[in-house]
Amino acid sequence: MVLPAAGDCLLRNAWICGKYVSTRRDTILADLRQHVILTVVAVVIGFLLSVPLTLFVRRFRRAEGAVIGLTSILYGVPSVALFAVLVPFTGLTARTVEIGLVTYTLVIFVRNNLAGLDAVPADVRDAAQGMGMGSTRMLLRVELPLALPAILAGFRVATVSTVALVTVGALVGTGGLGQELNDAFSSYFKAEALTASVLCVLLAVVADLLIVGVGWWLTPWRRGRQT
Amino acid sequence: MTQRRILTALPALALGAVLAACGGSSSGGTPAPAGSSGGGASGSLTVGAAGFTESNVLAQMYADLLEKAGFTVSIKTVASQEIFQSSLEKGTIAVVPEYAATYANSLQTEVTGTQSPTAASPDLQTTLTNLEKYAKKKGLTHLDPANAVDQNAFAVTTDYASQHHLTTLSDLGASGLSVKLAATAECSARPFCKPGLEQTYKIKIGSILPLGFDTLPVKQAVKSGKAQLGLVATTDATLASFGLVVLTDDKHLQNADNLIPIVNASVLQQHPEIATAINPLAQLLTTADLGNLDKQVDVERKTVKDVAQAYLQSKGLL
Repeated sequence: MVLPAAGDCLLRNAWICGKYVSTRRDTILADLRQHVILTVVAVVIGFLLSVPLTLFVRRFRRAEGAVIGLTSILYGVPSVALFAVLVPFTGLTARTVEIGLVTYTLVIFVRNNLAGLDAVPADVRDAAQGMGMGSTRMLLRVELPLALPAILAGFRVATVSTVALVTVGALVGTGGLGQELNDAFSSYFKAEALTASVLCVLLAVVADLLIVGVGWWLTPWRRGRQT
Repeated sequence: MTQRRILTALPALALGAVLAACGGSSSGGTPAPAGSSGGGASGSLTVGAAGFTESNVLAQMYADLLEKAGFTVSIKTVASQEIFQSSLEKGTIAVVPEYAATYANSLQTEVTGTQSPTAASPDLQTTLTNLEKYAKKKGLTHLDPANAVDQNAFAVTTDYASQHHLTTLSDLGASGLSVKLAATAECSARPFCKPGLEQTYKIKIGSILPLGFDTLPVKQAVKSGKAQLGLVATTDATLASFGLVVLTDDKHLQNADNLIPIVNASVLQQHPEIATAINPLAQLLTTADLGNLDKQVDVERKTVKDVAQAYLQSKGLL
């Protein structure tokens, strides 16, 4: 065994420590990868579930209060409590964490989807109807493109908040970089805490920029305008 | 039970309350997934770790020993031991490192609903008998308890000890010295702390400095003489560097919190090799070893994997 040299940043418990990263590279990368997968799966499934909910509210407007209210209540359930309720049923699995994460994205997606579709000007809708478009064609060809900026804004908020929320999954053993954070808190490991936090923030920023890029690509008519 | 573990148990108890309040309202009684463990021909097992250094190191050692015995092993690290209780009962987690007395009490609470469990005892055999009684009801059993014990301990400076000829807590009681105690604020009410020291050992405690359990301020307060006695852990390997020495708990005030592997009984029945793989560690692992392992991770910042492996190799177990 090699004895660490004097001034070893691990021994000093320094905030910034290259040796922390080099000695734990595999674990950090595995947890970063898990973090990305948990986030992507939650956001994609959350959006897919929000689509029928959005259309349901559009069709049955009186249900809007109930749907928004329900998703808001679910959003208000503390993740710790949610996991505790789920673990006896779904075990210490990624599924437990994903159920929580997906649930939390719903309120963001449904609200933004609705806001985007509701903001389509009535005269545009009238014109589309005048051109003989049915409701499905109007939704896909007219309303959806016009609602895209709002929907993408929903994606941005949902993704960034999910990146942060994934860490709570460490409570039940599947939390991406949250595992590092948990360990850092329990053993007062500064380099581990800072490295994992920085990676989380970077992940959120990169994900956000990616979605902005996708939005730019999907809405060519908006380029050159301030988003 | 050490104070540190009581504190980590609190949020879990709160969770239990939430669970009780929400009981039955959660969606769907889907059976637990078979997961990657719980026996079968696959021979793959999951070891649980409770997220603090000592538990993580022990879990890693169990995993290494099981792998050597031919199992495919994964480790599940959660935030506190209460979280994997349901998975352990189902067998999706096969084995976890626990503390005999603390776990006996928590099982008793879970089985009988009592708020003041009595299963834990300073005597290991009594503790194990009680543990077995409640574990059976949950489909659990245990392997051999280790010699290593993680308990509350009381430390003085080596100077103070030699000046007053102290090696045990009885010595301190007999000396008639009045001491200031650096400990947790709750120490004044806990039977293993101030009341126990006063009644069992007749130690005169002037006042308590509320500085926590085995914290840096506790050790510094004793070192500097602000307090003469400090509440520490038996597994704290840094005491010598503060010039502190533990006074022996010769009248056994503290419960038998020996490290012990808790196993799902049906998984063990399917794979009796689990016992033959892990049991040899029990006789070899001492309290000093445990403190040293904790120190390598918490102070020297070695990885849990390296520390566990090096220890097992040094004992000829790997």
